[in-house]
Amino acid sequence: MNVGIAQGERNPNSSWLNSRGVWLTYIILVFVLHFILLSIPYITTSVAWTLTTTIHNICNYYIFHVVKGAPWETSDQGLARRFTFWEQIDNGIQWTGTRKFLQIVPVVLFFIASFYTQYDKTHFIINLATMLLAVVPKFPIFYGVRLFDINRY
Amino acid sequence: MGSPVNRDDIARLATDFYSLLESFKQTPFYHLIFEIFLILTVLWLVCFRKPRPIAKKLTEKEKQELIDEWQPEPLVPPVDTNHPALNVRVLDGIVGKTIEIDGRKSLNFATFNFLNFVGNQRIADKAIQAVQKYGVGSCGPRGFYGTIDIHLELEERLARFFNFEEGIIYSYGFSTIASIIPAYSKRNDILFVDEGIHYAIQKGVEASRSTVKWFRHNDINDLERLLAEQDKHDKKNPKKASTIRRFLIIEGLYMNYGDICPLPRMVELKYKYKYRIFMDESVSFGTIGQTGRGVTEYHNVDRQKIDLISSTLEYSVGSIGGFAVGSSFVIDHQRLSAQGYCFSASLPPLLAAAAIEALNIMDEENSLLFETLMDKSKRLHKKLLDIKGYRVLGEDISPLKHLSLANSLNTIGRLEYIVEFAQTRDITITIARYLNDEHHLPEPSIRLILNVEMTDEELEFLCTVLQEALVKVTA
Repeated sequence: MNVGIAQGERNPNSSWLNSRGVWLTYIILVFVLHFILLSIPYITTSVAWTLTTTIHNICNYYIFHVVKGAPWETSDQGLARRFTFWEQIDNGIQWTGTRKFLQIVPVVLFFIASFYTQYDKTHFIINLATMLLAVVPKFPIFYGVRLFDINRY
Repeated sequence: MGSPVNRDDIARLATDFYSLLESFKQTPFYHLIFEIFLILTVLWLVCFRKPRPIAKKLTEKEKQELIDEWQPEPLVPPVDTNHPALNVRVLDGIVGKTIEIDGRKSLNFATFNFLNFVGNQRIADKAIQAVQKYGVGSCGPRGFYGTIDIHLELEERLARFFNFEEGIIYSYGFSTIASIIPAYSKRNDILFVDEGIHYAIQKGVEASRSTVKWFRHNDINDLERLLAEQDKHDKKNPKKASTIRRFLIIEGLYMNYGDICPLPRMVELKYKYKYRIFMDESVSFGTIGQTGRGVTEYHNVDRQKIDLISSTLEYSVGSIGGFAVGSSFVIDHQRLSAQGYCFSASLPPLLAAAAIEALNIMDEENSLLFETLMDKSKRLHKKLLDIKGYRVLGEDISPLKHLSLANSLNTIGRLEYIVEFAQTRDITITIARYLNDEHHLPEPSIRLILNVEMTDEELEFLCTVLQEALVKVTA
């Protein structure tokens, strides 16, 4: 990734998720997590799926909506310093392919988890809560919004 | 190798999956509706494409029509001739006791020239000598070839003036206090700040990123309440509380209000609640106290109990820049941590020389200059109160007073009328201007500054003009 040079990417954070194979890797990683959880002996399938969705959604929320800035010395003069990773994707353009993909993944995981937990009520509530945690901050109306000044600076 | 997978295992897997499919038929109703809604949303999301605006195709004739009817905008748009940028008032000469605006001399009650050192010939001579000796600029920040012996002399003189161990000077008055506060108070520290502080201190408080507890202006009971609350909070977690630093940020004489802070009680509370006091004496340095040493002298408080006193050299001293004095342990920290000290060019030597000469004058004529100033302030205060129609804010010994009209009459429009009227009678006064993001915007007022060399007749004239203006504006 060419950072900080004249012809380089201004902020690599905006485009690396569009790279070849990233989406597939993301899905594979989710399944790897699930298989690791399945191999722990006392966890049933339904608990494993709920745990997978929960861990995935919480990590998703943390990485995309809590962490701000970019891990490189970017040449955009600190424009991205106050923006979360989600807001930096594609330099803030909404409705791109990556954004749609990342919005759909928690929903699809929710479907799978509901199926495998046999629509149990407790699991439903947990999965719904974490799915909302992962999906709601991705809506375009929340671009740049910091509720109650949390995480503003 | 695990046990070979036999037909029973596969059968069991199949029944697991079958049982899952069976339970699908028994899903709760709300869940089913919710899932259908989500599926529809996902499908919509996948198919959604942001509509692109379709460019309309123009024919040749339409294009030609558009080209023909285009008129260029004038290079300079028409502007109202009363625009303030077109009616600039031009100052000529030194802005001292008198100020020459558009060719007319008027008495200056607007600039912070308390001791009339602006235009003082003795100081000007010393500054000229310094230019001949050192040149004009200092060519660098203090840490990189910008320190000249005259800076060290000024720092030592200032420290000696206040009887403190060390002093440090800055090259710009605004950035003095705005760099000092963030140098000591960091993100998890607590600042107890008076609401009426001026803008530079507000910026310093904001830049420090500390937790700020504002207390009502000069209200010591409000401060005690905040301190007691913080104390209660600390007792729950003493380990964390011992890592938090606490500071009290106050001004000696408040620029926005003209009143003096209740220092003795604040020093008492300092030892009870364990915080440090940073006092900004921009206005009170060189004006308050028998020898001009500020509010500590006025209240007769032991100066060593104040951790840091800062001020500007731009008001009574008549130079440019700022300084802070305190113990060596406190001041030395700023030499590496204060942004305005490390990363700005140092004070030009001619201004440092002017400041040293001003300090010489203050040291020698001390009993007369400051006593005269306090005396005249008291007399002016009485005269202003005699006018009966103005609200006079400020201590009687303060040379900085705020004048406003009573209650609902007090609008900027009326005050501007008073200022314009005074200018026609050759008295220059000004309205105190504030920025939009002041923490606590004071009431509109005229800020009167008393120059020590104003004679009694001039003060009488000022009051006469103010009286006439009052009559005209309330008519």
